[in-house]
Amino acid sequence: MRSLRREPALLLALLAVTALVLLFVVYPQLQVVLTPGPGGYVQYLQDGTWVGPLRNSIQLTLLSTTTAVVLGFIYAYAMVYSNMRWKPFFRLVGILPLLSPPFVVAAAYTLLFGARGVISYGVFGQSPNIYGLNGVWGVQTIAFFPFAYQLIADALSRSDPRMEQAARNLGAGSWRVFRTVTLPLSRPGLGAAILTTAIYILEDFGNPQLIGGSFYVLPTEAYSLISSFGEFTSAAAVSTILLLLALGLYLAKVRLDGGRSFVTISGRASSMPRPPVSAAVSRACFVACFALAGIILLVYGSLVVSALTLRFPNNLQFTTEHFQYVLSGTNGDALRNTLVFSGVAAAISAVFALFAGWLVQRGTWPGRRVLDLLLILPAAIPGIFFGLGYLLAFNQRWLDFVDRGWLIIIAFVFWNIPVGYQAAVAGLRQIDRSIDEAATSLGASSIRGFRDVVLPMLGGSLRVGFVTTFVRAVTTLSLVIFLFTPPTTTATIRIYQLVGDLNWGAATAYTVADIGMAIIALLVFAVLARGRIALGAARA
Amino acid sequence: MSPETAHVRVSHVTKRFGGVTAVDDVSFEVPKGSFATLLGPSGCGKTTTLRMIAGFYDPDLGDIEIGGRRVNNLPVHRRGTAMVFQDYALFPHMTVRDNVAYGLRVAHVSGPDRTRRVDETLAFVGLGGLGDRWPNQLSGGQQQRVAVARALVIQPQVLLLDEPLSNLDAKLREQLRVEMRILQRRLGMTFVYVTHDQEEALSLSDWIAVMNAGKVEQAGAPWEIYYHPRTAFLADFVGAVNLVPAQVTNLADGTATVSFGRHRAEVRRPEASLRAGQDVRLCVRPESFTIAPEGTVASGISLPGTIVRRAFLGDTMRYWVKVDDREWIVDQPDPGGSATLDGPVSLSLRPDRVHVIAE
Repeated sequence: MRSLRREPALLLALLAVTALVLLFVVYPQLQVVLTPGPGGYVQYLQDGTWVGPLRNSIQLTLLSTTTAVVLGFIYAYAMVYSNMRWKPFFRLVGILPLLSPPFVVAAAYTLLFGARGVISYGVFGQSPNIYGLNGVWGVQTIAFFPFAYQLIADALSRSDPRMEQAARNLGAGSWRVFRTVTLPLSRPGLGAAILTTAIYILEDFGNPQLIGGSFYVLPTEAYSLISSFGEFTSAAAVSTILLLLALGLYLAKVRLDGGRSFVTISGRASSMPRPPVSAAVSRACFVACFALAGIILLVYGSLVVSALTLRFPNNLQFTTEHFQYVLSGTNGDALRNTLVFSGVAAAISAVFALFAGWLVQRGTWPGRRVLDLLLILPAAIPGIFFGLGYLLAFNQRWLDFVDRGWLIIIAFVFWNIPVGYQAAVAGLRQIDRSIDEAATSLGASSIRGFRDVVLPMLGGSLRVGFVTTFVRAVTTLSLVIFLFTPPTTTATIRIYQLVGDLNWGAATAYTVADIGMAIIALLVFAVLARGRIALGAARA
Repeated sequence: MSPETAHVRVSHVTKRFGGVTAVDDVSFEVPKGSFATLLGPSGCGKTTTLRMIAGFYDPDLGDIEIGGRRVNNLPVHRRGTAMVFQDYALFPHMTVRDNVAYGLRVAHVSGPDRTRRVDETLAFVGLGGLGDRWPNQLSGGQQQRVAVARALVIQPQVLLLDEPLSNLDAKLREQLRVEMRILQRRLGMTFVYVTHDQEEALSLSDWIAVMNAGKVEQAGAPWEIYYHPRTAFLADFVGAVNLVPAQVTNLADGTATVSFGRHRAEVRRPEASLRAGQDVRLCVRPESFTIAPEGTVASGISLPGTIVRRAFLGDTMRYWVKVDDREWIVDQPDPGGSATLDGPVSLSLRPDRVHVIAE
């Protein structure tokens, strides 16, 4: 505390960061929670319309998380432990879904398995009704198992190969080692991975909205209450229920993360090889990954084919008509909006999060635990809730002079703060405090030391924050669904609208263009950063 | 010591971390231009004290003055106390030259002047020509010199050094120890040095404060600390020592008569107050003895004994000699010059080499 009094600039910086966090993280969320008022909550809880969506949400989250985690675990185990071939290929395929909006799987699913789907109708001659629980479950499984894979692979690869070698050396077989050493050591990490996957699935808006039909979950219920009935009170109440569920999952995850103390957290996979698994296991892993990668490629492949043909699957004549449509007029504007909003937001968010991370991690002032909590809180807030908060707090007439694009950018910045913040804190832990101290003892103020010494050394954290925020901003639908205006439409909104219009050619072309744009942007960034980019755990 | 010459003054400083008192009412003064060392085992509070002088920690109680000015409320970067860190804390993303130039750049020293001073300082520490290297291309010793150069170049009022030699191998440590002392003499700069290595402290310092459990146990000249420790902890911490229980039998002006076992000796009376009949401990350094084959007549206190063990240390031969029922550690210098002893021997000890610790 005294150190802050001695350095007014540091105190000012801290106050500014705190004020921004209060304004853009705390205030909008309070708006949502407080909108219904006590009477509103009582009335809403009594009318009982929330029971169905709540039950659906819980049921769907349980089902989809289970299947996504099982598939993700198989993929992760194969990638981390087996000696199968084609690993780089499988790794690449596993990243692809992270770069695209999860709800495009719903679109591809309709094309492949819908009433007139290529596989359901074309191959099997069936016209199943995919709308409802089963459809959403299948789609979410495919959409989210790559996320589960990334998180589980991360947790598994943190376990120390030396322990496994020691166990093998003491006579245990590879399965026994996995069961008695690896699993117990990575249990907290695995638990956290499962809970994080569950949060993604719980707050998924696009998939249930597109193929849920009359099967409403909490996010789609909130959206339809507003879009169909203008029922802000009930929407805020149902969003608050969603928030409570997500917060519960998130707190459980934090508890597990915190309990990770006995796992070797080197932050980097050791270069030491893991003990080999048998050839038969490797072969089985290869077959499983081949099938799973096949499903991913089928999804994205069908999008590409649909985008390039006149009328998929009935008329497969090649055409660029859909892409011309996508790049023209307001459609092109939406694509550009996504690029600009996401790029600007990612840059601001990464730098701001890094500075905030430095203030919290290196500071000794009272109340830093509170700021720490507020900076990771948005990771637990569903996009639909966050967006609603901004709608209620900042969609005010007197703010009309501000370009609405800024509202979306600021929402991107603060919704993604936890990504950059956690990367910054992890990076700072790797840098000895004496490095900062050396700068100040040579006459630099704390902030000068941050600029000259810490910032250049945290390039890695900065890149993780930037890339992950950019990808999340490009792929989110739920956050912007309440915030866009015609001139500030983003690509995900446009895709959502085109799917809604059943304009499949344009919708798939738009999806391909959006993903392609994200990949090109990342490649450009990789060239600028001389190849040193890393996609964090995809989400905070 | 008059206030004008005290360059660093620490008065009644206390620092607690949670429930632990790391530094407990510590006071000392460091004269201008002297090499002062805080010596003690790990966790004794020496580094905490140094970091409070630097401003990285705030004292809970007490004052710190530098050059007659209270600095408690000055931030680190305004104190003029450059620090050399244990792990050097070189900026890995800057070359050696940029590391050394950093403090000057912060202080807005102009380009040509800055280049000149950086080059001079690098030459001064023997690193001329290595300015364009990166820190990870240097050996440990070279990194240490860069750390010193980086701190010296800004001409701090006081240079603080936190175990700067502890990460180096023994040979290099000894070499740099000599260089460090020469450097300090040449600059006439006030150094405050922290170490747990008593040899380092004894060989470098004008003044040593030995700390234990957050307190200064004793402060003074190295010779004083080594031969006249006030407590058994000090005697034991600063080098090998024989600590022998004894009793005061008689007191006279300047001398005290002590008895231990069946021996009796008249030794120098310590500053601490003593009374007849008091239990004390005798502190005798191993090198204070003369060891000779049995039957050799020697002056001073004579102790007949038997060698039970020995160890060749290179520059000395160390014997464990049983006298009555107690083992004494005895060093024989220049073991190459005489035959290795065995069996019964005769130890002799000059009375002025025996120091009495009253506890």
